[in-house]
Amino acid sequence: MTTATATQRVLLQKLEGLRHIPTIPAVLAPLLRYLQQPAEKIDVQKVTDILSQDKSLAAQCLQMANSSLFGRAKNVESLRSAVVSLGVHNVSDIAMSCGVLNILPRDQAGLDPVVFWEHSLGCALVCRHLARKINFGDPAKAYLAGLLHDLGIILNLWILPKEFHEAWDLGKADGIPLDEAENRCLGFTHCESGRWLAERWQLPPDLIDVVTYHHSPEKSVEHAALTSLVQLADLLCRMGNLNYGYVEQRQVSLREQSGFPYLAKDFSGLKDLDWARLTFELDGYLEEVHRLVHAIYRA
Amino acid sequence: MTTAPTLAAGFGAEPIPGAELMQIRDVIYKSAGIFHPDNKLRLLWDRCGRRMRELHIPSLREYCDCITTKSTRQAELVALLNEITIGETSFFRNQPQLEALWRVVLPNIIQAKSRLPLRRLRIWSAGCSTGEEPYTLRMLLLEECASQLKDWTTEILATDLNERSLAHAQEGLYGAYSTRNLTPIYRNKYFIPQTDKLQVNALARSNVAFSRLNLSDDSRMTFMKSLDAIFCCNVLIYFDLASKRRVIQHFYNNLLPHGYLFLGHSESLYGVNDDFRLVHLPGATAYIKGERPPVGGRAL
Repeated sequence: MTTATATQRVLLQKLEGLRHIPTIPAVLAPLLRYLQQPAEKIDVQKVTDILSQDKSLAAQCLQMANSSLFGRAKNVESLRSAVVSLGVHNVSDIAMSCGVLNILPRDQAGLDPVVFWEHSLGCALVCRHLARKINFGDPAKAYLAGLLHDLGIILNLWILPKEFHEAWDLGKADGIPLDEAENRCLGFTHCESGRWLAERWQLPPDLIDVVTYHHSPEKSVEHAALTSLVQLADLLCRMGNLNYGYVEQRQVSLREQSGFPYLAKDFSGLKDLDWARLTFELDGYLEEVHRLVHAIYRA
Repeated sequence: MTTAPTLAAGFGAEPIPGAELMQIRDVIYKSAGIFHPDNKLRLLWDRCGRRMRELHIPSLREYCDCITTKSTRQAELVALLNEITIGETSFFRNQPQLEALWRVVLPNIIQAKSRLPLRRLRIWSAGCSTGEEPYTLRMLLLEECASQLKDWTTEILATDLNERSLAHAQEGLYGAYSTRNLTPIYRNKYFIPQTDKLQVNALARSNVAFSRLNLSDDSRMTFMKSLDAIFCCNVLIYFDLASKRRVIQHFYNNLLPHGYLFLGHSESLYGVNDDFRLVHLPGATAYIKGERPPVGGRAL
């Protein structure tokens, strides 16, 4: 990379020294590819077959499928009934969530990743909710974007557990956003390391933009709306209960965020959105998100 | 489809009924501006159950009709709101809101006023009930904000419509329930033990002024001037939309340009007022004054 900045050089040096990088669970890539096609072409049996290849993932999916967060109508006892009663895209959301929770080894040194999983799952739910409220069109994509936006944090936890712990401690002590603290302690942020991982995983371009620009969605050339949606949902979570283990000590006006006009331009519903209600609704997620993440990650 | 709570049934482990309770939640939010997130639905169901027992209504479906039918709606809504807010009054009731006040809001106010010669902070507890809120604010300013507010004059105005509540507030004598959230530091420094109760001492009473005020009294509302923050928690939920709009417009005028309006937990101004803007603080929300479009002109 000929135009690498000092920050990128520091990061690349670290990454080049890595023997292993976190990998996405094997069944999720074919599942994601399969779900890219139009809904009417999707075969429930095929989805069930793909997921059933990973027994442990399938069991975790069932656990999540029985949560109120996924609109459970009755007890879901098999993957097939989950796909039938919750719909293919809900099950895809569930499968991705369980898959992502399996990226880090459970005996990871340094910070306990549980708070980040809770934040990611919470942000995914808020993104989906927000997408539905403003008729964003693709709530499943919004969910996935929320779930994966902090991929870089997972990588930072993996490659630099001690330094990342220091950054988190600084963020908590000063009540500042984590990316600011990372910049001071690491010389780069989870947005930059996240981009590296997202490209390695060959995520679609819109998700790469979300991972890279969710703190500065105005920089996303082609996917500013999705990236802005994640910026707002992420902030709502960080200022409330679904944060990273600490709440930032500052005042935030969602309307003044750089992504707001990008989203408002295409989705008129944003202007009249009841942000207060959305904020209160988040309070209702916390206990269930906490329970699920512990049940799955600690299992 | 759903199971209504029976008169004898407890509300512990039963599945929460869906559609009717959601409808009741929406009615409460639309008329009173107070929202029950999913994790509070069991509490809402319990409160509806109390009203149903009182009225001998056997099913939640029928109670839902009662709260949505025009002839009974208003009275029943008030009765249900009373059940919902019962026991809400206590010292340090909304901890995240108070922390946001001293960690984020006060530094902002102090900065906004730093160039003014007069170092005065005015906070209004509008609908102070039996006084726990204004005394909490006073103690908080004395304890947590002492260094920030050195050389500042602080005033806490506390008003309520109910004279009995005001008399209680002025007596300053509180039982175990209201004082349950007090830490030993506050308990020892700002209270005098009186048999099985605690009485607010002179230090916590200093600069707290109680008076009777009807928030719907337009002429008196215009005299509440130069405020830095207004706390109006679980009061507007009882007002109809037109009265609520009038009160909020007064609050807007009463606040200084950098002022803050705080409402109760899960209380919202959505659909009531467009001049105030929602801001997110750590673990809490508040309203600040937004830019108003020019009078008589079109907003660009």
